[in-house]
Amino acid sequence: MSDVSSDGILKGVKELSLVHKLSMHLGVFVILIGGWELGSRLGYVNELIMPPPTAIGYRLYEMFFITGSIYWHYFVTMFEAVCGFIIGVSIGLSLAVTSAISPVFRRYWAPYAVVFNVTPGIAVTPFIIAWFGFGWSSKIALAALVCFFPPFINTLTGLLYIDKDATELFRSLGANRKQYFWKLQIPSALPIIIAGLKLAMTGALIGAIVAEFFSASEGVGILMQRFAFRLNMDGSFAALIVMSLMGLSLFTLMEYMDVKVLFWRRHSRMEEVSKKRKAKWSIN
Amino acid sequence: MADEVVIEAKGLTKAFTETVIAVEDAIFQIPKGSFISLVGPSGCGKSTLLRLIAGLIDKTDGNISVRNAEVTGPRKDIGLMFQKAVLLEWRTAIENVLLPNEIRGDVGPEAKQKAWDGLQLVGLKDFEFSFPRQLSGGMQQRVALARLLQTGADIMLLDEPFGALDEFTRERLNVELLRIVDDPEITTIFVTHNITEAIFLADKVFVMTPRPGRIAAMIDINLPKPRTIEMETTPEFNALIKEVRDVLSGHLDGAPL
Amino acid sequence: MSTELDTDVSHNIEIGGDFKGGLGGAMIRHLIILLVLLFVWEMANRTGMGDPLLLPRPTDIVLSIWKIYVTQGNVWYHLWVTFKEAMLGCLIGCIIGIGLATAAVLSDVFRQFLKPYIIIVEATPRIAIGPILVTWFGFGMSSKVALAALVCFFAPFVNTITGLLGVEEESYELFRSLGATRKQVFWRLMIPTALPTMNAGLKLAVGSAFGGALVAEFISAQAGMGILMARYTMSLNMPSAFAGLLSITLYGFILFRIMEFIDYKVLYWRTDELMEKKSLKRSLAWKKEMQS
Ligand SMILES: Nc1ncnc2c1ncn2[C@@H]1O[C@H](COP(=O)(O)OP(=O)(O)OP(=O)(O)O)[C@@H](O)[C@H]1O
Ligand SMILES: [Mg+2]
Repeated sequence: MSDVSSDGILKGVKELSLVHKLSMHLGVFVILIGGWELGSRLGYVNELIMPPPTAIGYRLYEMFFITGSIYWHYFVTMFEAVCGFIIGVSIGLSLAVTSAISPVFRRYWAPYAVVFNVTPGIAVTPFIIAWFGFGWSSKIALAALVCFFPPFINTLTGLLYIDKDATELFRSLGANRKQYFWKLQIPSALPIIIAGLKLAMTGALIGAIVAEFFSASEGVGILMQRFAFRLNMDGSFAALIVMSLMGLSLFTLMEYMDVKVLFWRRHSRMEEVSKKRKAKWSIN
Repeated sequence: MADEVVIEAKGLTKAFTETVIAVEDAIFQIPKGSFISLVGPSGCGKSTLLRLIAGLIDKTDGNISVRNAEVTGPRKDIGLMFQKAVLLEWRTAIENVLLPNEIRGDVGPEAKQKAWDGLQLVGLKDFEFSFPRQLSGGMQQRVALARLLQTGADIMLLDEPFGALDEFTRERLNVELLRIVDDPEITTIFVTHNITEAIFLADKVFVMTPRPGRIAAMIDINLPKPRTIEMETTPEFNALIKEVRDVLSGHLDGAPL
Repeated sequence: MSTELDTDVSHNIEIGGDFKGGLGGAMIRHLIILLVLLFVWEMANRTGMGDPLLLPRPTDIVLSIWKIYVTQGNVWYHLWVTFKEAMLGCLIGCIIGIGLATAAVLSDVFRQFLKPYIIIVEATPRIAIGPILVTWFGFGMSSKVALAALVCFFAPFVNTITGLLGVEEESYELFRSLGATRKQVFWRLMIPTALPTMNAGLKLAVGSAFGGALVAEFISAQAGMGILMARYTMSLNMPSAFAGLLSITLYGFILFRIMEFIDYKVLYWRTDELMEKKSLKRSLAWKKEMQS
């Protein structure tokens, strides 16, 4: 399965108070940005290469609050990515479930899965543009293509690698296939499935942006490319920050889902849920 | 047995936080060549006490000295063994045994011969070049034991070394362990949950009680040596078991485990 | 939570059962099915279903493969360009990723400072910086190398951190009790423990470096597989474009297998058969040494 995540990075680091942490990070951030600004002002940093933070900040301010030009592009790219995500994930999950249920399908589909695994999805960009044209649909298609693989492989792995003892327990209880699937396979696979969905989210955004680079008339990707090609560096950095924001918002959304769905992996959530269930409990 | 004191603690205290006092005011003297068992319920501070003696963690208060020298860090004459074998899985058994020499930078023919002999001693003939994953749990612990012997340490701190093994293997390994450390030069502290095992092995049993971690009793075991499994059914043995139990239950009544 | 999971995509494909290793009946069955599929595709195309301009006939694709590899022979050059860009980028990305990760693991303070930036870098579609890199580094090779490096550094970075932090407390205590120096702990304990995870990160990096180089070529380039395919599709020469895509797949597959092979060889203590070989070898070496 594929899973790259920074979750465990603070392992072993002493827990600091929130105020302490915030002030420390803010301090470092201010020093970095201040140094960069100062470097620009004093002429150590070429403005054509790295515009000063204030210029980028002003450009962002302009985009959001004066001309308001960014909102439409933001919406377009987001829409493409999310549609692609939904389509890609649906395909990935259905393929995975079919593969998990039917060994025959799994066997014959495996070589093609290998092909998808070793070909970078974005290599197909020119084809997608040729097939779907220059509008939104090509971006959605590429986003879907780039993002379907992680949910597929993760879900399949999760559904197949079930604890042997648990399987035997279910068999000894006389569970049928459906019960086995819904009450054991799916819950035990959920953590891995969600890890796959997180990767798919990033993948979908990348797919949409790359397709925009290739050819588009609207969207944050093409906006940034236009700025860059006109050597308008503060504009392109502002666009980059906007894309970062998009990534962060989608990321936060996935994180939220993770916390909500996988409640049994976090102590605080476990307490919450157990209280709720206790309140709901009644014998009748 | 010469009564030279090797390990001495005075008011030894370790507090992880204000409320978690893992070891409080431990006072004891351990003579050379003796075998001490340390029993107590889970979480009472046994491992912490061992780590304090080994110099792996710093005390909060009091004194701990080995051979009249304050413990400030790991020492060459102290060897450790854990519940897990802690073998490096990319090294064969004998290479794991040689690790202490490698770290000290003296992997000569002598060291190699010693490692070979050590593995024979713990009953791993023909498994010298097996990787840990090819060995059973009991065999892995034997490798760990051979590595401990290889350090040349004469103070051995064993933290539930056979705790993860089945009853039969554990009993066998206990007997072998006794054979190996039955040496007037070697001082052993052996941590266990198992009261029978503690008494069976020891000259003296330290009974620890939790929250805060205190040594509630030190019970001399005057059973004859060498010990045999049959002794475990004698009245004397049972009286000792009861004595340890009484100390423990006096502290455990009503406490949530 | 999920950091302890295996990052390895490769072995899961074996879930497909007898595909791998079996040159026997299974392989033949797969081939037959593939041929049937291609035949249906060809026939459908010839009988006027589907637009042959967009989805070319398999036979045309085969002819194009012949053309770009043999008659024109132009694909070799472009493959080489992309290969160079991707590999150089991968190398740089891995060095940066592993270097940063090592520093972060060795210094708690650095790790603490890095954390928010890591989250931002993780959430940002890194490939989006492509146009900026192209303006900075120009239309030549360096902008592609830069994008490949930037896109691929993250997996080795995160996996190195996870791997190095995955050393168990008891192992540290063992080393400390033996009086090991920091350097010994690092090289003899932390690195070997982290190797499986690090390798998994490198595998992912190779794939994404390739993607990064291609995207940079799409943005602007004179040579490389990305621009080659883009030119073919723009001129609606779809058979040649497909031939190019198949080359990329093949090339990806070979790289993937090489990485798997390295994995297999380096992590010898994870496969029974290699363990046995190694233990035999080491015991023979030992006996020789003890005799002399
Ligand atoms: N590094 C640490 N930081 C904070 N608290 C700790 C640490 N190590 C141990 N403790 C706490 O100190 C107490 C004693 O722990 P210790 O490991 O010594 O117990 P133990 O007797 O060895 O238990 P067990 O038999 O389960 O191994 C426990 O309450 C434990 O939670
Ligand atoms: Mg313990």
